[in-house]
Amino acid sequence: MSTRNRPRSGPTLNFKAVLLGEGCVGKTSLVLRYMEDRFNSQHLSTLQASFVTRKVNLEDGRKAQLNIWDTAGQERFHALGPIYYRGSDGALLVYDITDQDSFQKVKSWVRELRQMRGTDIALIIVGNKTDLEEQRAVMHQEAMQYARTVGAQYVETSAKENEGVTELFELLTQLMLEQLSQREPDSSPLRLQSPDTDALSISEEAESEGQGDPNTGTHRSCCGI
Amino acid sequence: MATAARPPSLRLGQQDLKCRTGCGFYGTPQNDGLCSMCFREKFNDKQRKLKLKEREAGLTPGASSSGAASGSVERRSPQHGHGRMEPPKKQADKDSENSGTLHKKKFTAVLQKTLQAGAQKITQQRGYVPDPTENQFLLQLRQLRIPDDGKRKLKLEIQRLDGDIRKYMNGHGSKNIDELSDAVQNAYTKVSDIVHNDPSFEIATNEDRDSAIDFFEKVVMTQNHKFLFSPYFTSDEDSDVKVQKRIRQLSWITAKHLDCSIDEVNSEARDLVYNAISELVGIDSYYSPQEKLQCTVRCCRHIFELLKRATGGPASADDFLPALIFVVLKANPVRLHSNINFVTRFTNASRVMSGEGGYYFTNLCSAIAFIENLNGESLGISSEEFEALMSGQQSYSTPWESALLACESLHLISENMKRMEELQKKNTLISSGLTAFEKELIEFQREVTERVDTVIAKAPLTLLPIKTPAFLIGQARAQLQTDPDTGHYLENVVGECTLTSQSIIAGNDALKSTIVTEESGLSLKDTSIGSVGRLSPLQQNVQPPDNLFASPIFNYAAFDAVSMLEERSSEGTADVVMLGTDFQGGLTNINYDFDLSDQSGENSTADEAKLNLDEFDPLVQKSAPNRKPPTALPDTSLLDSTMDSLIDSEVPGTSVLLPSPLKPEVANYRGFSNFDIPSISCNTGDFSSLGHDGVPPPK
Repeated sequence: MSTRNRPRSGPTLNFKAVLLGEGCVGKTSLVLRYMEDRFNSQHLSTLQASFVTRKVNLEDGRKAQLNIWDTAGQERFHALGPIYYRGSDGALLVYDITDQDSFQKVKSWVRELRQMRGTDIALIIVGNKTDLEEQRAVMHQEAMQYARTVGAQYVETSAKENEGVTELFELLTQLMLEQLSQREPDSSPLRLQSPDTDALSISEEAESEGQGDPNTGTHRSCCGI
Repeated sequence: MATAARPPSLRLGQQDLKCRTGCGFYGTPQNDGLCSMCFREKFNDKQRKLKLKEREAGLTPGASSSGAASGSVERRSPQHGHGRMEPPKKQADKDSENSGTLHKKKFTAVLQKTLQAGAQKITQQRGYVPDPTENQFLLQLRQLRIPDDGKRKLKLEIQRLDGDIRKYMNGHGSKNIDELSDAVQNAYTKVSDIVHNDPSFEIATNEDRDSAIDFFEKVVMTQNHKFLFSPYFTSDEDSDVKVQKRIRQLSWITAKHLDCSIDEVNSEARDLVYNAISELVGIDSYYSPQEKLQCTVRCCRHIFELLKRATGGPASADDFLPALIFVVLKANPVRLHSNINFVTRFTNASRVMSGEGGYYFTNLCSAIAFIENLNGESLGISSEEFEALMSGQQSYSTPWESALLACESLHLISENMKRMEELQKKNTLISSGLTAFEKELIEFQREVTERVDTVIAKAPLTLLPIKTPAFLIGQARAQLQTDPDTGHYLENVVGECTLTSQSIIAGNDALKSTIVTEESGLSLKDTSIGSVGRLSPLQQNVQPPDNLFASPIFNYAAFDAVSMLEERSSEGTADVVMLGTDFQGGLTNINYDFDLSDQSGENSTADEAKLNLDEFDPLVQKSAPNRKPPTALPDTSLLDSTMDSLIDSEVPGTSVLLPSPLKPEVANYRGFSNFDIPSISCNTGDFSSLGHDGVPPPK
């Protein structure tokens, strides 16, 4: 099972992140906003907003493909969550800062995710709609604290005003990258060549994956799939 | 092999089909001619032996090329099953010796042969029908743009996995689909590793590498579809039946229940839903997981298109999932679970975990999960109602179903109704546009009138009488008399002009003045309002400036042409006379001009004068008709009648001048007056002259 959960087919970095959260908290808007910054709106209009991919350049010069999967937020689809976040590298848990219920929902998502996926998934709790500051129902401090206790990051955004959206996805990519480098020894093809790696060599390998191996390096730059 | 030797007429007898152990049940070629029971019994035994042998022989990968004994037999056929005892033809080669002996040991000659023959026959028949043949794959392999070395390796891997799968399927007793799936996934990983890291692939581009991996997956999966798709040791088939039944029970669900924005009645939307459905149903008809995924993607794209039309923007997952569920419910695809499981188990894991296909596939999975688990609550109805609907106790009708049931004509009617509605809408639009336009026109008209009125009010046209100083008249007359011969009206006119201009001013006035002068005694005073002038207000307008009145005042009262004409007729005589007297040719032309001038100034002076002016010239007649025919007639008559008087009236010179009338040219006139004078035909001149001649001077 674990083998199948590893989505890497090859050296192309391929990240998958799911958007979870109650309906109407702005999941889709976040994605739309994020894509709009880079793509013209025309491009968007031909697409849907539920599944987007973006190629991102990592700091070390590598390229990665970011897949963002939107999920239906309606309560009755809640149970379908696991189907979506199975095999994902990161999850954005979005709530509406003016809606305490949506924050509670996030908490339940977090519990579920931690239970199902343990720590091998990067979590970011997103408080959306900061443009409605005066109606805020969930204090920044409260959310921040909660995030810390569950080992998640906390970010506040406003999809409407385009505040913090790009930063959010950059952070997400960063987290997933870290996650990947931690998990790398388990599943990377490289492992096949050096199956017995101790903790020390893990980090080395993760690094070398970036610059070291010329073979992998070239593949990555192409970003084929 | 056996097939060829066998006489073609030979058929399989009943007993040939029976289990070889003679237990009375039918055997199958797959089970080496055993019935399933006996087969299973024997199975464990064989299994152990086979395993041992394999271990001894090891798997020599290159062996496949030998293809020794069986040669032509397709290795992908399910009949390999009976290689249990006798390892599948191709694999058999690998450990040919051992298997050969094994083989011989196993079967009693006759029975085995017949069975094998039958099996063979079936194998061959099947071989031609369903699969993209091996040849095709070989061709594709050749076309792959990777180094030959790489191709060889790829082929090797394909064969290895192929063999492994077969071995597994034919092999040990307890089979676990997850094990198999893991094995396949590991093979994928391995191949991907080879493709990306093996030196023989070094020069290949990334795309080529990917296509090589794809190719690998496609070949293996297509060839082993029969084994891997809904294998007998899984419960896939049961799930298929279950979900199908469930969906049938749920046929009462409408788009409203799911809260999705599909308009079930709209024919356009229905068409898109049909497209999506046909794609979804089509999933089952493809062999490889890739193709199945592509099918899913196409299905979902249709749905997104549908949603885009319904919601007018990029659809979010909130809209999409319900729509997909709706489509799945209405499509009720066959072997749903088998297909889903086949893809999840045996496609390259990265495919379902990322990318568009993966996303849609995941959504499809969750749609199915939702359908399997839904209850009243998730549809927004009470659980009692849900139960009632599910058990069929409560009747229902959905727009979707009724639309399916309703006969074609009803459907047509509804569509026509829709079209009519559209037309009606267009119609109302047009008519409203018309009304608006009409209003606008009326408004415009009103505005124009208003503006004209205001302008008129601001600057009323008052026609004042032309005052011709007596001395001028005298002078003019004198001049006329002095050079009566001047056949050249031009000169005359000019002279007069100058004279008059001094007194009055503008060129036009000059004309009048000339007239005046001509008429001198008679009707000079007339002011020559000239019936003509009255007739056409334009002229009146033009005149004011000539008259130099700051604010011209028009005498509208006098406008009635007819009355004027009448007046003329009575008074005309005098005027005409005047004309005649002077110089007909020149005058005629001049007269024309007069008409214009007349109205303005002369109105005031005297009615009689007007008449004169107009009439004295036949020219006027000509020109007049254009403007107002009625006027012309009276004029002529006047002329005729008055001719006598005309001649008489003025100066003897007239007779002298007679010849000239022909001369008058329009051109001269133009130059003469400031006005634009319509061209005047010369004929008139004749008239006048005639009149002159014939008529004795009235005076």
